[in-house]
Amino acid sequence: MGSFSTTKESLEFLKNLFSQYYESSKVDLPDRFSRREFAFITFGGKGMIRHIGFNKKNQFYRFIKTTALSHIYYSSAYYKKPDAATMQEKDWMGAELIFDLDSDHLPNVESLSYEQQLDVVKKEFFKLVDDFLLNDFDFDQRYIELYFSGGRGYHCHVKDPNILSLDSNERREIVDYITGRDLKDSLIFHEQITGLKRYGQRTYPSAKSLKMPTPDEPGWRGRISRGIIEIVEEIKKSKKPIIKLKDYGVNDSDAKKLLLDLSEERVSRIKQGKLDQSKLIRKFFLNNALRNTAVTMSAGETDEPVTCDVKRLIRLPGSLHGKTGLKVVKIPINKIDEFNPLNDAVVLSDKPIKVYVSKPINIKIKDERYNLKEGEHIIPTYLAALLIGRKAANII
Amino acid sequence: MEELVTLSKYPFLNETKQYVKDNNLSVIELLDDPLYERARAIGVERLENAFKDRDVGNRSLVSESDCIMEILSYPIARMIAVCVDDNYFIRRYALGEAVHAYKNLINESTNFLLEIAQEFKFNIKYEEETNKIRIYFKDYLRNAPTHYKEWKMINRTMEKGFLHIKHKELARIIQEALRTRINSELDMRDCNKSVYDIFSSDIKRIQNTVITYRKKIQVEPIGKLDLKKLPPCMKHILSSIQAGENVPHMGRFALVSFLNSLKLKTNDILKLLSTAPDYEEEKSRYQVEHITGSISSTSYKPPGCEKMRTYGICPVDQIDNLCRKKRHPLSYYIAKWGEEKSKK
Repeated sequence: MGSFSTTKESLEFLKNLFSQYYESSKVDLPDRFSRREFAFITFGGKGMIRHIGFNKKNQFYRFIKTTALSHIYYSSAYYKKPDAATMQEKDWMGAELIFDLDSDHLPNVESLSYEQQLDVVKKEFFKLVDDFLLNDFDFDQRYIELYFSGGRGYHCHVKDPNILSLDSNERREIVDYITGRDLKDSLIFHEQITGLKRYGQRTYPSAKSLKMPTPDEPGWRGRISRGIIEIVEEIKKSKKPIIKLKDYGVNDSDAKKLLLDLSEERVSRIKQGKLDQSKLIRKFFLNNALRNTAVTMSAGETDEPVTCDVKRLIRLPGSLHGKTGLKVVKIPINKIDEFNPLNDAVVLSDKPIKVYVSKPINIKIKDERYNLKEGEHIIPTYLAALLIGRKAANII
Repeated sequence: MEELVTLSKYPFLNETKQYVKDNNLSVIELLDDPLYERARAIGVERLENAFKDRDVGNRSLVSESDCIMEILSYPIARMIAVCVDDNYFIRRYALGEAVHAYKNLINESTNFLLEIAQEFKFNIKYEEETNKIRIYFKDYLRNAPTHYKEWKMINRTMEKGFLHIKHKELARIIQEALRTRINSELDMRDCNKSVYDIFSSDIKRIQNTVITYRKKIQVEPIGKLDLKKLPPCMKHILSSIQAGENVPHMGRFALVSFLNSLKLKTNDILKLLSTAPDYEEEKSRYQVEHITGSISSTSYKPPGCEKMRTYGICPVDQIDNLCRKKRHPLSYYIAKWGEEKSKK
């Protein structure tokens, strides 16, 4: 596969498709567009054209119609001089808060198909928006814009005027909150004295119980509580609870002990916020509840969090992704669940076109399933663009 | 009288400023009139205490005159601080004022704290019956010392954008806000010539103290790089690069900016990197020179431990005891040198 490269004809095909798209469609400019830096990648061009500013809408439209563009980006930041060549001269004024969730950054997704990967990211994205941004942070819906990235992920732009001036450390703090980094046990669990003994004049604690939060509490406390209850119920419902626990990383003897401990009565006590368990089991519950409820933004620890970068370039809404031909399309906030990128972001024509597929692929696009083996096929233009972009096909 | 005591404890309040204004005092009077000799002396004392003890210090506030002198000493101290014209000193002075305010604030009522918080335009909700204080997350992020684990936003209860805090914590947040405010106010001001003339001997004395202190804390020139003294993170990045492994951009950046801070020349940095199997002289030179500032407008500072951790380039499994005490890879390296010196 490594030797397979996009042919000149294929490149030309994509270039024409994109030009047609930009000629006939109206790409909305971001708010305060004259304060933004724009950047472009052209078909066949080397590197990125950066530090471009536009004062008038028409300038921008003329540019995108006359230049063969494969990718369009704009800065999440506002600048006094967006077209200056150095950051210092640009003079930063503020920036949207950006969350970029991409399946590239998620752990254990390599083995999944494109569609499955998109689904995994969508779940994380939903948690981010619904549970954190709208609930904990209480951002107003009108300041939150959601987009499909055109590739393998989703972007969320928060434009609340309150947060535009946050610096990168302050943004990192928000990321840490959302990803569950550095949560202290003591926020969640604490001991409560339940019995007292009297010796003469003085009283001493004779019994202690471990308190955990109840599901209705705000913030991380309630979240962990709900997470723990979910795990408990999952184990209770499971036909092979021991195996389920082992999947969670509990060893055999602990799993047996834990299972024995989870009587109906015990489960109902947990729901009331009483967790009388050993330290080990407590840790198991906390870690897994945390993992299930926090938003996974990066694989392991190696990715640069986009959110902390206050001078980030991000794909322009309404533009096409050069490697898929899919549109960076806006998702209404109440429609995340039903959004299907391989339907809703497909904007290129369905005109049949003959391609040579170099890598077998099975994909459902525009409600039709294609199971393509290596060889010649006649497929709709939008699918051809997607396959060429992913270096899986060429025009013949 | 009670009100006057409050004003003198919190001379940064708008109310105090108004009080000074209402008394129609000119700067010249403040600087010259024998009547305010004591205020001037306290002004200098504020600065010296702040530098030495991180607190501008307590003085008796028994009589009306005590209070007035205390109030007037504040603008005087600020004017002198500007003339000392040293960033480090100004930071230190601002900290001293802020810490002093904090020590007083923790003994005040919550309602009093809320009034002060208003001056900083904090968005705060307070339920008097339950004594619950909640602060909008943005004001919290701006001012709370979130580099401490217990202050991290995640270890607070957050409810609809508001974080639960206690009385003492609100005082601490005000302390930080005050420190930032004094810093930026003094940064914007220029030294007044007559202030400089009148206090020139005090200013020179302070400047000398600052220089001596600086020399004391400055470690000896690092000279030759001692690889054994590198903190685990830098060792890790360097060995990964040398082994030809894929090191994320942030990791390369951290290493080069770290070495640059140790005053290593571009060529020396390149020499270290050149053992990598995928070394490309031209490309690396461009990148290194960009970070060290020789071909770009800024010379970048190496990231601290917190940042390293967020970017996932702190090898958590390799950290040692010294790491736990340090918050910056540079201070680790410097401390290692210190260890060796004390052994000798």
